[in-house]
Amino acid sequence: MSIMEYNGGSVVAMKGKNCVAIASDLRLGNQAMTVATNFEKVFPVTDSLYCGLAGLATDVITLRERFRYRVNMYTIKEERQIEPATFAQLVSSTLYERRFGPYFVEPVIAGISKKTGEPFIAAADLIGCLNFAKDFVVCGTASDKLFGVAEGLWEPDMAAEDLFETISQTLMNAVDRDAFSGWGAIVHVITPEKVISRTLKARMD
Amino acid sequence: MAECSFGLVGKGYVLIASDTSASRSIVKMKENEDKIKGLGPNLMMAYGGEPGDTIQFAEYVERNLRLYHIRHNHTLRPASAAAWIRRSLADSLRSRHPYSVNLILGGYDHTSSMPNLYWIDYLGTMVEVPFAAHGYGAYFALATLDRFHDPEATLEEGLETLKRCINEVEKRLIISLGKFMVKIIDRNGMREVEL
Amino acid sequence: MAEGGRSGGAYSFSLTTFNPSGKLVQIEHALAAVSQGTTSLGIKASNGIVIATEKKASSILIDDSMIEKVSVICPNIGIVYSGMGPDFRVLVGKARKSAQAYWKMYGEYPPAKVLAQEIATVMQEATQSGGVRPYGVSLLVAGWDDHRGPSLYQIDPSGSFWAWKASAIGKNMVNAKTFLEKRYHDDISLEDAIHTALLTLKEGFEGQMTEKTLEIGVITVPEGNTLTMKDGRPLPTFRKLTHEEIKDYL
Repeated sequence: MSIMEYNGGSVVAMKGKNCVAIASDLRLGNQAMTVATNFEKVFPVTDSLYCGLAGLATDVITLRERFRYRVNMYTIKEERQIEPATFAQLVSSTLYERRFGPYFVEPVIAGISKKTGEPFIAAADLIGCLNFAKDFVVCGTASDKLFGVAEGLWEPDMAAEDLFETISQTLMNAVDRDAFSGWGAIVHVITPEKVISRTLKARMD
Repeated sequence: MAECSFGLVGKGYVLIASDTSASRSIVKMKENEDKIKGLGPNLMMAYGGEPGDTIQFAEYVERNLRLYHIRHNHTLRPASAAAWIRRSLADSLRSRHPYSVNLILGGYDHTSSMPNLYWIDYLGTMVEVPFAAHGYGAYFALATLDRFHDPEATLEEGLETLKRCINEVEKRLIISLGKFMVKIIDRNGMREVEL
Repeated sequence: MAEGGRSGGAYSFSLTTFNPSGKLVQIEHALAAVSQGTTSLGIKASNGIVIATEKKASSILIDDSMIEKVSVICPNIGIVYSGMGPDFRVLVGKARKSAQAYWKMYGEYPPAKVLAQEIATVMQEATQSGGVRPYGVSLLVAGWDDHRGPSLYQIDPSGSFWAWKASAIGKNMVNAKTFLEKRYHDDISLEDAIHTALLTLKEGFEGQMTEKTLEIGVITVPEGNTLTMKDGRPLPTFRKLTHEEIKDYL
């Protein structure tokens, strides 16, 4: 039994043309027993930046709270919203602070830069090693399946609607092959103007 | 794990049931132990886990929520109390002597006029749920609740569902847990109910 | 409480206690130390900032190439001081450390305001802690960031700080400020600002004004979107002028 797989759950983020998308499943389990089907793993950081956390559920909640605290302090002190690239660094440093007693969580970041309008995605391992990808990033118990499906479905320069379809299909088909993920999903598509959030009807078995 | 507790929300109320056994190894030491603690006028908590830790932690929570009430002249809402309790467990998990206590927290929020139920484990995992269960009994209770739970159920129907869960656990679990204690919280506060 | 045997009256038992008229006299003494220090000034131009100071050694035997009064804190921020040199050195150390801590956390260097606030906090702590005295310096912080652009801050021993278009601190600050008020206009260029800075310092300059008795630092606003150099390191927007460059301005 791995700590990273104790509660289950998966997150994926993808880049499109002037947009990004991030999605998670909704399951919370205790090993094979499903405890809840409303456990969201993606959280807003600013109005154009989201952060997804997959792994040990207690750490998912704790880290969400710590990031919220640090971003709030940043916003007040600097009198500006945090940029995606800066937030990624913040996530990395927060995780590396616990290098020898880590939070068992792999974060995924997706957002659009307010300054340049550039879409941004990144992922990190549990001690904060960043991975800036051009196409998509995945994490969680279905990450291997997510890699496979995303590799097949993702194309460069997708518009928001296409991106929504692609990330939804990627997540749903990947978690259907994973016993520890699934039971519904939530997708956020971020464009410079707005964020579209949709919960997906998925297989509930 | 031999201990078992579960809870469910219905229309305007939340029910929590817990077994009443206190055991040590394979020996049942007591069979009328109240393991559902009232935490103020609109909050209650069923606790189970490592003997010693359970009472110690439950009283720690109880006194801190009481302290909050005295200091601020109002009680914490269920959501805030749950967040505080969760954080206590999450911090404890990474300390030298973590509490090993699993909780089901039920409350009535007078601000939103809604009942709340939280499933919390010793790791600090927390989720708000329509129904919840801990222990070996959870395997049977959750399946029963999946089939019969209705968030709009009246108190009579809710109690009926709870009885089904208890019956299922008594029927299928090889260990007999003895009597179950049931408590309810609604807009009128907390009280014990006889099944 | 007993007098304690020291001079200075009943309220001098602690350096950080108010006297009956509501003053922290140690802060006023610190300001007096600043106003005895050599003049420094800063001018914000449309395309940059200049900070400058007079550098004079107390003896011709001192190797003045070792004296540094304008200091780089991080690639986008530089500071200059009037007052006590050793106190400045300590603050430069703390400011650099703070900038590096910020870099470690966010992967970029702090905006000028954040750093100014950080230094101001350090200086304020010395007015409220036991067993310490206030820092005997006033600072001018010049910085550039993509949030606020070029900005110039002054920090006093009390820990208060303000943003300026142009300011002067030290011995001749009153005259220098009057001079700057007359000379300053909003669309002044960096080149003109450097010349104005030298003209201002010339008033009340002791001895010969040469490249050896001056220190100048400039913020240059980067053009376009080139915030990083070819090797990926952040573009230095603050730099100190070399002796040759200063000579050309004289």
